[in-house]
Formats: sequence, structure tokens, C-alpha cells
Amino acid sequence: MLEIKNIDVYYGDLQALWDVSVNIAKGEIVTLIGSNGAGKSTLLKTISGLLKPRKGSILFEEVELDKLPAYKTVELGIAMVPEGRKIFTEMSVHENLELGAFTREARKEKNKTAEWVYEIFPILKERTRQKAGTLSGGEQQMLAIGRGLMSLPKLLIIDEMSLGLAPVIVQEIAAILKKINKTKGTSIFLVEQNVQMVLALADRGYIIENGRIVREGKTDALLNSESVRNAYLGI
Amino acid sequence: MFIQVLSYGIMIGAIYGLVGSGLALMFGVMKYLNIAHGTFIMLGGYASYWLFTLWGLDPFKSIPLVLLIMFTMGIVVYKIVFSPLVKVFHVGERIQNSMLITFGLLLIIDNTVTWLWTSDVRSITTSYTGSTFRLYSVNLPYNSLIGFGLALLALLCLHLIINNTYYGKSIRATTQDWEGATLMGINVDYTYLISSGVTFALSGVAGIVIATSYSITPSGGLEWLLKAMIVLVLAGEGKTKGILAAGLFLGVVEAVGVSLVGSAYREVFGLLAFILVLLFRPQGLFTER
Ligand SMILES: Nc1ncnc2c1ncn2[C@@H]1O[C@H](COP(=O)(O)OP(=O)(O)O)[C@@H](O)[C@H]1O
Ligand SMILES: [Mg+2]
Repeated sequence: MLEIKNIDVYYGDLQALWDVSVNIAKGEIVTLIGSNGAGKSTLLKTISGLLKPRKGSILFEEVELDKLPAYKTVELGIAMVPEGRKIFTEMSVHENLELGAFTREARKEKNKTAEWVYEIFPILKERTRQKAGTLSGGEQQMLAIGRGLMSLPKLLIIDEMSLGLAPVIVQEIAAILKKINKTKGTSIFLVEQNVQMVLALADRGYIIENGRIVREGKTDALLNSESVRNAYLGI
Repeated sequence: MFIQVLSYGIMIGAIYGLVGSGLALMFGVMKYLNIAHGTFIMLGGYASYWLFTLWGLDPFKSIPLVLLIMFTMGIVVYKIVFSPLVKVFHVGERIQNSMLITFGLLLIIDNTVTWLWTSDVRSITTSYTGSTFRLYSVNLPYNSLIGFGLALLALLCLHLIINNTYYGKSIRATTQDWEGATLMGINVDYTYLISSGVTFALSGVAGIVIATSYSITPSGGLEWLLKAMIVLVLAGEGKTKGILAAGLFLGVVEAVGVSLVGSAYREVFGLLAFILVLLFRPQGLFTER
């Protein structure tokens, strides 16, 4: 469904990604693991079109993503929960969700989808009129994910979901993601430093170091590999 | 007497709000500080003036035409002058660059207008100019009353558009975080384009009101730019309501000041309020924070 083929990405003259290839199939949960500064967020920005690859290509359901302006990515069915969440802090929780359903198709289903999101994250329903900036970290993350779901995505991408959240809340959200993946068939791409959490959730994973993919495989295999255990689990 | 002063303050205050709204919209959405804002207001005034002088069109009846002219001008100016700056992502740099560019634009327009139409002070004098409406002991000029109503109406429309339409949603989202807005599927470039058009249309309304109640000259825009900037600071990148409140506040402060010390000091009171607010409430008088 998503095929990233051999992309090089630069910030001006500074190269941040080298020959990166990643595939995600329909219905899969895939993870990308890497330490701080490895290039994870850069890859996600390139998928969403905020950065353009200088070499290589990105296909989403046969459409060349890298040839489209960034705002079209959502229309095609990719929802991004970006680094830092980027919720609209000055708007209410409900307004944030509505913005998630900005695309033409999603607009039609807006109310129904919102009901569903409130069902998944009941705390958001309690906070519906509250300014998003006043939510706790965990609630903001739920809002960011809920907002992503509002666009009725085929692929949901989440950048460092667990960052700054208590383990209990991370587990709660992880369980919800698993359920969405099961019931709706939504593919999920989880980008993390926190390996524990994703390896339990994902089917496959990639490991990125210094802008290059250094390893890929089934999560069990990655978990059992000596180098991964050393580098990311500290065992 | 005090009521009379207050009513003048309120009537011009609404116009200050209107003048500030265009500057605030462009600054909020695009982070462009448009130094030529007042100059475009003058152009709106000239459009209304020439439609009246050459074709005898009543300035309040030609509003749709002036709006259309100014909206189109906003689109064209965006395409030619503003859009290259979109690639400057750093907010501080964008503000600085936009100030330089629009200052250049101001000089070009100012000189062109002087060359075309001389630097004469002009205003639109209709059959009802000068007639006043008496409410108890307060004299209210018709022109100012209509101008006041127009300013309020324009601000109301802006408020409704921003809060109730999908364009308004994209404006608010883009204002807060253009990257986040893009990720929602909002075409930020298009939002900028339309906002430029809307800003110019607001300048058009302001130009009409100013040409009928006050006067226009090629360089008269600077004075209004100053008011707009004071309003922007007082309102603190706020909502339309905050901008109207800031305009009214400035209008009343000026009017009361003038009635106490004389009109030579008009600008002083506004600037004093401006400095005091910057010192003690830099986030703006009418923000919620
Ligand atoms: N806006 C930027 N301009 C220049 N370099 C950047 C920018 N953002 C990130 N980088 C660099 O790109 C590399 C990858 O960063 P990033 O993708 O944010 O890493 P991660 O998300 O894995 O922590 C880092 O070396 C970082 O310094
Ligand atoms: Mg990152």
C-alpha cells in the first residue's frame, strides 16, 4: 500500500536520509525504531509531503506521493499524528476533531466519525468544549490520534506516541490502536524510541540509524537479535 | 458635551477596528506585516472617489464594485509580490522580509498615485455630506453614522466567516500552525491567497469610509497604518471582537484626550496607550491569556 523506494532527503544542503526503503501492506502494523536524531521524523515529514525526496520515490496505492502537494496526502488516506502532536491548542477539543475531517470525503461522515472517536476515547467526550491546550499530555495524544482518525485514514502514522506519557496510558492507547487495526483494517505505522511498547504491537519493524535503514524483519526476530537488544532495550 | 466626545470616539474607534482588522488578518494568517496596508486603504478610497466623481456612483452604492476591485487586487498582489515569501518558513524572517517588500510597494504606489492624480487632498462630497442627525443633545453626522455602521458590519461579516465557514477554519488552523493545518488537508497557499483578497476587501471598505468621512491623499495611508498597528498591539493577535474592542478603546482615548488638551496632541494619546500596553500587558489588552 505504501512503498518508499530508495529515497534521499535533505534539509537544504544537509543530507538526513540515505537510500531509505520502507513498505507497508494493507492491514499491517509496522514500526520504525531509532534513537534521537536518527531521521525518523524526517521520513514522516517526507511521507506527508512537507519535505520532498531528492532521489527515489514514494508510492501510495500506486499514486506518486512525492509529486503531490503536501495537503493532498490526507485526501489519499494517510493520517499523520506528528511529532509534538501539533494539536490546535487555542481551539476546543471538538473543533480539533472537526479539523481532522477537513477533506471532502471525511466532511460527509464528520458527525458519525466523531461519535465513534468519542466512543474510543470517552475522556475526549468529557472534554469536548474544553480548549485543547488545557488537556493533559495523555489526553492530547488521544486527541491527536482521534483527530487523525477523523479523516477516515487507510494508513495511520504516529510519531513517538509514547513520548512523555506514563506507561499505563501508553498501554491503554496501544490496546485501542490494536483494536482499530483489527476491526477497521487500518494500517498503522508506529515510529518510536520506546521499543518495548511497539514490539508488542507491530508485525514487522525497521531500524534506522544515522539516516539509513540498518535492519528490518519480523518483530520477534528483531527482538531476539543481539544488537537490537543491546542498543534499544538495554538488556 | 462628554457624550458628544464619547460618540465621536466610538464612531472613529469602529473605523480604527476596521483598519486594524485587515492588518491583523494578514499578520495572523501569513505572518506578513504589511507596511503598505494604509496605502491600499487609500487605493480603496481612490476607487470609490473616482467612481463617484467620474460616473456619479454614490460611494455607499458602489461598495460591491470597490470590494471586487480590491479583492482582485489582493489576489494579484499576492501572486506577484507576496507569494515568493511563502518559502521563508522562519516567522521572524518572514516578518522582516515582508516589511521590506511592502515598504517598497508603499513607495511605488505612493509615487504612482501622486503622478497620476497629484497629491491633492480629496474627499467624497455627496448631497448629504455635512448633514447631521440630532439625538438629544448629540450631533451625529450622517456620513460618520453610515461609516460606523459599515465598519461594524464588515467586522461582523469577518467574525461570522472566520467562525462559521470552512475557509474560516482553514484561517484559524493556519494561523496557529501552518504545518499542522497542512497535515489536516488544508491548502495553506490557497488560504493565504484568499486571505490576501479578504484583507484587501477590508481595506476597500475602510477606504470608502475614510474617503466619505475624512479625506484621502497618496501618502495619507501612513497615518492609518499607525492606527492599525496600535490596534494590532492592543488587541494582541486576537479575535475580531478583540480588534473591535481595541479600536473603540483607541478612538475613545484619543477623543477624550483631544477634548481635554487639544487636537494637536491627538496622536500622542494613542501612542501613549500603545507604550503603556506594551510595558504592562505585552500580550495585548483584549486577549484571554
Ligand atoms: N529543520 C531541520 N533543519 C536541518 N536539519 C534538521 C531539521 N530537522 C531535523 N534535522 C536533522 O536531521 C536529522 C534527523 O532528525 P529527525 O528526523 O528529527 O530525527 P528523529 O525524529 O529520529 O529524532 C538530525 O540530524 C537533525 O539534526
Ligand atoms: Mg523525531
